[in-house]
Amino acid sequence: MPDTNDTQWPVYEVFQQQARGEPHVHVGSIHAPDGESALVLAKEQYGRRQACVHMWVVPAEAILATAYEDADIFEHGTDKSYREAFGYQTTKRAREIGDEGEL
Amino acid sequence: MAEKTSGRTLTPQAKAAVIDLLYRLADDNLVLGHRNSEWTGLAPILESDIAFSSMAQDKMGHALTLYKLLEDLGEPDPDRQAFLRPAGAFRCCSLVCLERGDWALSIVRHFFFDEAAQIRFDALASSSYAPLAEVASKLRGELKYHVMHGRTNVRKLARGTEESRTRMQAAVDRLYPHGLGIFEPTDADETIAAEGIQPAEAELCKTWQERCGAILDEVELAVPLGCEPVYGGRRGEHPATLPPLVENMQIVYRLDPVAEW
Repeated sequence: MPDTNDTQWPVYEVFQQQARGEPHVHVGSIHAPDGESALVLAKEQYGRRQACVHMWVVPAEAILATAYEDADIFEHGTDKSYREAFGYQTTKRAREIGDEGEL
Repeated sequence: MAEKTSGRTLTPQAKAAVIDLLYRLADDNLVLGHRNSEWTGLAPILESDIAFSSMAQDKMGHALTLYKLLEDLGEPDPDRQAFLRPAGAFRCCSLVCLERGDWALSIVRHFFFDEAAQIRFDALASSSYAPLAEVASKLRGELKYHVMHGRTNVRKLARGTEESRTRMQAAVDRLYPHGLGIFEPTDADETIAAEGIQPAEAELCKTWQERCGAILDEVELAVPLGCEPVYGGRRGEHPATLPPLVENMQIVYRLDPVAEW
């Protein structure tokens, strides 16, 4: 049983999807005693300000993260522009067609 | 069931019955919305404060929508309904009038009320009175959330600590007779059912007892047996807690009823 005097319940990260087929985007975090309550509370906290058809909550402690001091691992030492995805204009459309009816 | 009708095609008897029903529903939502807004800034944690306040706003919105239907039938405009009627003219049930109480009381009231509202509005979505059917369909999404919020909190608090459980059982014991009172019949009910405007209150009440009973059973909260429903609200006989609420709600408007807001 968690310490009920501690009002700082566990943190859940909230992700929401504006339309089917769109990515789930991180919109913030919320305190809640458990996942089910987190969903109910997150709906009012985040869902009422913008379009939403689907919401995820994830225990913050379940997320593994890199360290900011390691940000240099993402830098390219040499020109890797051939890898970048900016050329793929059809990605979104392809996803819409390919994922129709999917989340 | 009768053909779908608009206000223009209602018989005088059916029109009077619809008006009677709309006053009950609108006043329930207005008074509960105001009562629950008393938690704004005081709810146990920020997140529950935001959700509860937001639902209180939803209730005000539902009341406004229902008062507009009354206005379309020739009744006074929504501002006059909310801000210039004395408490005795309200037709709300006793459940919504009771004091704010502790968090358990407010949660159990919210649970009882929204289970009832969902059952009623699901039925009203196929009402023979088309304007009400349309409103009922539109409000179902918000009500679905209110029911989710109510059930989740009842489950959590019933299974929380010894104290939360004791408080929840006390709230259930105190409020169950008032919950039954939501379905107080009026003289208009026979017409309401016969015209296909809404099923009889007794029928809705039966579904309400089954649904609430199932959830309370699940979390091992006892449903009080053999209690008498608290009636009177639909006749304008209210608990002593209503007049101060109405006075508080109307105090600013009454300073200058012709002011533009």
